[in-house]
Amino acid sequence: MTTKHVIATAHTRSIKNRFARRFLRSLLKMKRSNRLGTGFQSNEDIRKRNTQRIKTAADRSMARVVGPRKIWSRALLFKLRNRARIQVGLRNRCLVSKKKKVQRKEKKVQVISREPNRADNLRKLVPGGDSMDICSLLEETAHYIKCLATQVKVMQSIADLYST
Amino acid sequence: MDGSGDNNGDLGYQNRAESVMNCPSSGMNTNPFYASAWDPVVSLSQPGNFVGSSTGSQSEFSNSPFPIVMENPGISNTCHLVRYPSDSGFIELVPKFPGFGSGNFSEIVGSLGLTECSQIVNAGCPPNYKEANNESTSHGAQRQEDHQLSEETTIGALPNGKRRRRAAESNSPFDPNKNAEGEFQKYPSGESSDSAKELDEKKQKIEQNRGANSCGKQVVKQTKDNPQSREAPKENYIHVRARRGQATNSHSLAERVRREKISERMRMLQELVPGCNKITGKAVMLDEIINYVQSLQQQVEFLSMKLATVNPELYNDVERIQSKDILHSRGGNEAIRGLSPGTNSHQYSHGTFQPGIPVIPNPNPHFSPAHHAILDNELQSFFQMGFDSSSAIDSLGPNAGHLKPEL
Repeated sequence: MTTKHVIATAHTRSIKNRFARRFLRSLLKMKRSNRLGTGFQSNEDIRKRNTQRIKTAADRSMARVVGPRKIWSRALLFKLRNRARIQVGLRNRCLVSKKKKVQRKEKKVQVISREPNRADNLRKLVPGGDSMDICSLLEETAHYIKCLATQVKVMQSIADLYST
Repeated sequence: MDGSGDNNGDLGYQNRAESVMNCPSSGMNTNPFYASAWDPVVSLSQPGNFVGSSTGSQSEFSNSPFPIVMENPGISNTCHLVRYPSDSGFIELVPKFPGFGSGNFSEIVGSLGLTECSQIVNAGCPPNYKEANNESTSHGAQRQEDHQLSEETTIGALPNGKRRRRAAESNSPFDPNKNAEGEFQKYPSGESSDSAKELDEKKQKIEQNRGANSCGKQVVKQTKDNPQSREAPKENYIHVRARRGQATNSHSLAERVRREKISERMRMLQELVPGCNKITGKAVMLDEIINYVQSLQQQVEFLSMKLATVNPELYNDVERIQSKDILHSRGGNEAIRGLSPGTNSHQYSHGTFQPGIPVIPNPNPHFSPAHHAILDNELQSFFQMGFDSSSAIDSLGPNAGHLKPEL
């Protein structure tokens, strides 16, 4: 297990760096888009919106870094893309496109009827967990935990950089 | 190991066979062969020789199998016999011989004269007789049954696990040559991954060669006891071996494999989640994992909120951050405040992160340093509750003392 641990930490380090870079890039983009003018909104709203934007930026950049190799990253990217599309649809008030997106979403949802299991809560937490068997669910959870931990570390250090 | 494995290919066998077969009497008929076939068995039954060094038993062996070998000048892998004794598992096969041999030997000897060697092959001694290749399918079927029987009887006998699952083994025409090769690969190289991979690849080829005569898949599954297990990840088959005294039903074996997979993953998760070293049991472990994931997600949300409030300055400096600073400073920060797994237990699970504390409703988008200080103090104490780093706690003063008991 020690070699596994070493490999895991090396792997995490590269994830960390890549995530950091992407996240910072997305923050930069956000800055530019913010500059374009949001004067008509209250500061509270701005903050809330920024919070959500930052969170989605973090999630998206993490999912991109991981790539399509993992089930949870694919599911997360899919969810984010759908959410973005729906929001764009709402903004444009285009009902037709909204219907289309909703249909696509429904297609993706697989109805898997099971007995209430302990792992159901875990499935809700891990993106894409509904359509996984226990074995792969545990594997995905392990990788997801690792990536979440690196995400927290990076964001924490960025925040610290500005608090000091 | 790889080299030797390659040498054990078809060409190599013949070369070695010729070198080994210096003894005369190529015209031995079946009966003395049959009689002498048991000689190595007898010699094998002495335990001391096998478990110990290979060379000692090898010398013992090198004499006895010759009569068997001499039957057919076209033998291609007699070298297998010589190397036999190095496999300590072989000794356990010995008592099995009378079991499966008795019923079939007479027929087989009559037809081929070398089949007990193939029996031995199946147990692990692979003489490669060309005649075997030319068998009719009926004999092949017979042999396969014997082979299978030997496989099943040896379940649990070989503690040195090789992982093997033979799908569609019994019905298709049997190619003992290749099978012998494949089986032989295991023994001299012991548990080395290379030979096992080769073996498994060859087995895969064998199975492919046999075609899909699977009426009722004969899955001889055996789970491995040896901690040095390896699964060639590129294989289509998962080879497992049953442990001694365990059910050999294919269903139960499959379930056992599944359970072991799950427990292996739970162990991995146990390492990742801090403070779960002492937990035994999947249920509690699952709860801990759920709590941990929830806490991590809450942390991300909280941090994004914090970053949103800090944002104006962040935007100005984001280019600076993109340089090495962030990547280097992270190490320092972690030492003080980062996630420190294993330093404490369960505090994260009980303490709900209270995002309400740092969010100070403030119409002014530019936060004064005082606000920042408060924010960060709260955050610091907040994280210390979870991650218990002593140096930062001292700097917090009364706050830490106040907040900690709540958890």
